[in-house]
Amino acid sequence: MKKRFAFFCLTVIAAVAFFFSGQAPVHAEKTYTIGTDVTFPPFVYANSNNKYVGIDMELIRSIAKEEGFKIKIKPLGFNAAVQSVSSGQTDGVIAGMTITDERKQTFDFSNPYYESGIVMAVSPKSGIKGLQDLKGKKVAVKTGTQGATYANSIKKKYGFKVVTFDDSDNVYNDVKTGNSAACFDDSAVLNYGVKTGLGLKVVTKPTDIGQYGFAVKKGQNQELLKMFNKGLAKLKKNGKYNQIIKKYTGAAATSSTKKSNNKKDAESNTFIGLIKQNRQAIGSGILETLKLTVLSIIFATIFGVLIGLLGVIPNKFAQGVSTVIIYIFRGLPLLVLALFIYNGIPSLTGSKIPAFVAGIITLTLNEGAYTAAFVKGGIEAVDSGQMEAARSLGLPFRKAMSKIVLPQGIKIMVPSFINQFIITLKDTSILSIIGILELTQTGKIIIARNLQGFKVWTIVAVIYLLLITILTLLSKWVERRIND
Amino acid sequence: MTDLKVDVKNLVKNFGDNHVLKGINFEVANNEVVVLIGPSGSGKSTLLRCLNRLEDPTSGKIVIDGKDISDSKTNIDQARENIGMVFQHFNLFNNLTVEQNIALAPTELGKASKEEAADQAKKLLETVGLVDKYDAMPRSLSGGQKQRVAIARALAMKPDIMLFDEPTSALDPEMVGDVLAVMKKLAKEGMTMVVVTHEMGFAKEVADRVVFMADGKVVEEGKPTDVFEHPQNDRTKAFLEKVINV
Repeated sequence: MKKRFAFFCLTVIAAVAFFFSGQAPVHAEKTYTIGTDVTFPPFVYANSNNKYVGIDMELIRSIAKEEGFKIKIKPLGFNAAVQSVSSGQTDGVIAGMTITDERKQTFDFSNPYYESGIVMAVSPKSGIKGLQDLKGKKVAVKTGTQGATYANSIKKKYGFKVVTFDDSDNVYNDVKTGNSAACFDDSAVLNYGVKTGLGLKVVTKPTDIGQYGFAVKKGQNQELLKMFNKGLAKLKKNGKYNQIIKKYTGAAATSSTKKSNNKKDAESNTFIGLIKQNRQAIGSGILETLKLTVLSIIFATIFGVLIGLLGVIPNKFAQGVSTVIIYIFRGLPLLVLALFIYNGIPSLTGSKIPAFVAGIITLTLNEGAYTAAFVKGGIEAVDSGQMEAARSLGLPFRKAMSKIVLPQGIKIMVPSFINQFIITLKDTSILSIIGILELTQTGKIIIARNLQGFKVWTIVAVIYLLLITILTLLSKWVERRIND
Repeated sequence: MTDLKVDVKNLVKNFGDNHVLKGINFEVANNEVVVLIGPSGSGKSTLLRCLNRLEDPTSGKIVIDGKDISDSKTNIDQARENIGMVFQHFNLFNNLTVEQNIALAPTELGKASKEEAADQAKKLLETVGLVDKYDAMPRSLSGGQKQRVAIARALAMKPDIMLFDEPTSALDPEMVGDVLAVMKKLAKEGMTMVVVTHEMGFAKEVADRVVFMADGKVVEEGKPTDVFEHPQNDRTKAFLEKVINV
């Protein structure tokens, strides 16, 4: 019995070790990972080819070219981008981030590259003219932004409530639908949005003027910071800086964007238009979702079956290990687990985990724990007389388990397996939180660009249903084969 | 003494606070058929299940065929190959055919090739009168048929000793005869058998010795005629009166 248990332990440890060794940090020749927002036009946004453009993007790319280093852009959303720098998952963040004393405690900032203040925007239909009209109303802001800080600092004085969202488009939508009376955001962003047909109007003068800076984790990546400052100075000198600013904020730029927005609206008012226009982005989103699903199902099934078996071998210690693992990973919310693995572990160990790998580990642990629970339950549901009869003939535990008990247990487990596969597919959507460009995140980004929330989410929902239908049919087919 | 197949010394078995066996001494000679009788809860089945260590004894010594199976160093799987067991609820392997049920252990444990095991399964099914059920699944059999297959399955390992744990208790009355007939045949062929049963007719006819248990102890034992006709102990008398008058 001890040998067998040791074997199980070794297998589990080996599997875990294999997992973690897979993403030993690979230091290529100076490629820096730069976190940024999903949508913060005109500083950061995805154009219709899903390529990230905007003032921040052009600046960092030009500076990288100027100074001779490589960058990899990670559109994580503002809050996640900021967190991933502080946990060391990314090297720097450029996302229209205002330099504040509070942030200086965690980050080292570059020289400022833009100046902006906070303004309030409302729906043109609403009668709200200023801060004094907000009493008893709700105000939308984006998590972790200066706008949010400002709103919170004056909410008592003006008697409003603050609602926070992770993406700008959700903030704007909440105001447009009338759920929130107003929103606070950077003047450059809101003015740009108003000019390009966002459908809101700005009603206050900029306050809390602040400067935008590129940031790295305090005390780290200092050479990157130096290069940024040097490059920025060069761009300012040779006129490239002004060119970029003009390109995104000048009258020509905004009116052409507005036109194209209007044109796009007319064109993509239909579902088919939207799909056509975004088919590449949607296609790669589906592919990423499928990759995550298939790999997670495979790893979670292996992990779950091992842990489940550990729970039924006649050894108190092994059973205890199995119970504890199931308890922990079934008990943790998937979202928390994903953030913990992606942001928490790297700040503890200092080595990065790619988002995709972190996502697979998250799903493997969570779905694996559920799998382990029903594997254990399925085996225990087989009449104990079957095991006794097999053992009474002289068959060792392993043979009795594999020839008699498991084949009967698996039949009991099959419906649970199918159920778990479907849940795994759905749960991949949660991984959008760590910036994996799967179907849900793709949907978020498309909406960030065209603000067609209802239609895009409908398309995404239908795609999920289609994928789940295919997976269900496939599973039922396998089930029939097993039962024959 | 070399002829002793089963030698149990001072066997104690507790389930928590429940003292099921309170120091049992029990012997079975080669070729002997011993029937264990007694009221339910007296520990008969537990004693039987200790003999192939389906239950781990709390203390005491169990020697089967010269091997101390109460010693944790003894390879229990090897010892069990020599001890056939038949269960009250048959416990046929539901995922296997009748033939596979019988042939599984000999092939898996390297006692026979697939062909030999299949051949042997056929012969065993002939002896229990079920050769037409060769390819059937257990769920299609009646209780009596299941129990006869279970006996064939146990015999396939060519054991020296057969343990029967209330083999007819779960059967409809009209099925009991077929199963008992197979057991009688086995006894005649000289198989060493320990049988827990409420079939007093079988005990009288087939047993070499009857052991009466009550309250986790052996209360009385002897030849069937002695125990059944001249019981010495009051508890034996009370029990037999109840059973035989039913």
